[in-house]
Amino acid sequence: MIQTILDALSYGGLYGLAALGIGLVFGVMRLVNFAHGELIAIGAYLFIVTIDLGLPLSILIAVTGTAILALLMEFSVFKRLRLAGPAVLLIASFGVSVFLQRFYEIIFGALPLSGQIAPWMTGVIEFGDTTITRGSIVTIVLALILLGGMWFFIEKTTLGLQIRAASSDFQTARLLGVRSNRVIGAAFVFSGVLAAAVAFVLVTQRGSVDPLFGVNITILALVGTVIGGLGSLQGAALGGFAVGATISLLNSFLGNYRVYTYTWLFILVIIVLLVRPGGLISNKAVKERV
Amino acid sequence: MTQMLEAASIVKSFGAIHVLEDVTVSVNKGEVVGLLGPNGAGKTTLVNIIAGYETQDSGTVAIDGRNLDGMTPEARTHAGLARTFQSGRLFPDLTVTENIVLGAIGSGCSTKKANGRAAAAIEMLGLSGVQTESAAGLSHGLSRLVGLARAVTSEPDYLIMDEPAAGLNDHETPALLAALDSIRRESGCGMLLIEHNVGLVAAACSRVFVLASGELLFEGNPQDALVDEGVLSAYLGDATMGLHGGRA
Repeated sequence: MIQTILDALSYGGLYGLAALGIGLVFGVMRLVNFAHGELIAIGAYLFIVTIDLGLPLSILIAVTGTAILALLMEFSVFKRLRLAGPAVLLIASFGVSVFLQRFYEIIFGALPLSGQIAPWMTGVIEFGDTTITRGSIVTIVLALILLGGMWFFIEKTTLGLQIRAASSDFQTARLLGVRSNRVIGAAFVFSGVLAAAVAFVLVTQRGSVDPLFGVNITILALVGTVIGGLGSLQGAALGGFAVGATISLLNSFLGNYRVYTYTWLFILVIIVLLVRPGGLISNKAVKERV
Repeated sequence: MTQMLEAASIVKSFGAIHVLEDVTVSVNKGEVVGLLGPNGAGKTTLVNIIAGYETQDSGTVAIDGRNLDGMTPEARTHAGLARTFQSGRLFPDLTVTENIVLGAIGSGCSTKKANGRAAAAIEMLGLSGVQTESAAGLSHGLSRLVGLARAVTSEPDYLIMDEPAAGLNDHETPALLAALDSIRRESGCGMLLIEHNVGLVAAACSRVFVLASGELLFEGNPQDALVDEGVLSAYLGDATMGLHGGRA
């Protein structure tokens, strides 16, 4: 039972990080960034190809590399589409996503690339009759540190205040003189950092990475962002947590019927959206970009 | 060089509709100027052109002799222009203080300086009692004052206020008048007040422009405007004007 709860918290934290990364960019740009999965994938690739340099250096390279790729996406594609509508941005993000998948195929190959990132995370800790996986504890701690750090950054810093304002009403924030490019760039960088954290946990669990590595969690994190409340950063983290924890609990409780996990998940998602169409934490001020 | 905000010889049409015909208005530093006109006179279009939301067909907008034409609204903010909005446009998820601080941050000043300016604006406009509250729960009148405080913290050289008294009650309008007077005395900025409430304009402004059907009908003392035949004629039948000092 304790392991079930820890797994739910761990999955919830992981999906919360992924959803917050997506929510940050959506907040300031109204961009549903499907290419977030490819940020997670590059993080995982960088972990695997640099792990021989030692974990601390590997983390530094993966986090920096993922943040740089996020910023490159913004500068090379999305910055040029500032005046485009949400549909155009969505299609552009699909394009970036597919382009990067093919690019990874060319660079790293279509087959999974294997490697052991932190083998100590796969072990268990025993408390009497109860065994707890180290991975669950590390993931929960990592999620708490990053979500806490992001909370501090967003709530207590000037740049965070500008991101919150831009998430609430981007047009008015710009009209007040808030430097929109700086705010959007910061959102992409932090989105990249969160993607690298998600990549670390996932690649440690799976031990391999392929070009489609980040697609599944990105789709589910997007679901979390929507049920949390589009445009609300707290909503994104909460929605992502809810989706991850629900998947974990359904997997546990359905046992041999876990093939129906996603069926039940999406039934619950539809119910939540029927009851609260604006999401768990609705941002009533969500407006179109300028 | 005269320190003034000037929109000179502005012409603007939307298709076949002529909205502004060779209109010139100006605001000197430290002066409060009213812009009056019945609905459809072209006031909002003129303000949008000055603030950079719309582009004029011809004419120029300048601050202290510096041409603003072609500059975005954000760039005009950095050039010393601020505006308040009819709808308030506060960030509902932020507190009153955070909303006000953003005005200063947007103008490019440091966090410490922004906090100082926000504290001064809160004090000046009597918002201490609500400074930690969420902007979402404010009354209409308080929202207007917070919007004004936010504009003031950018320490603009010129401030445009779009119908700041619309929807205010009889207690809130005198408070707004007092606030405008405080801002003028303490910041020394020039203010352009777009209003339907002639009583407020007469009390707050030293000079007034009256627009009607896109043309400048009157420029001068607000008291003279109240007895000007052309102005009276333009407003005849417009019950919302409160021509003799009443509120909208």
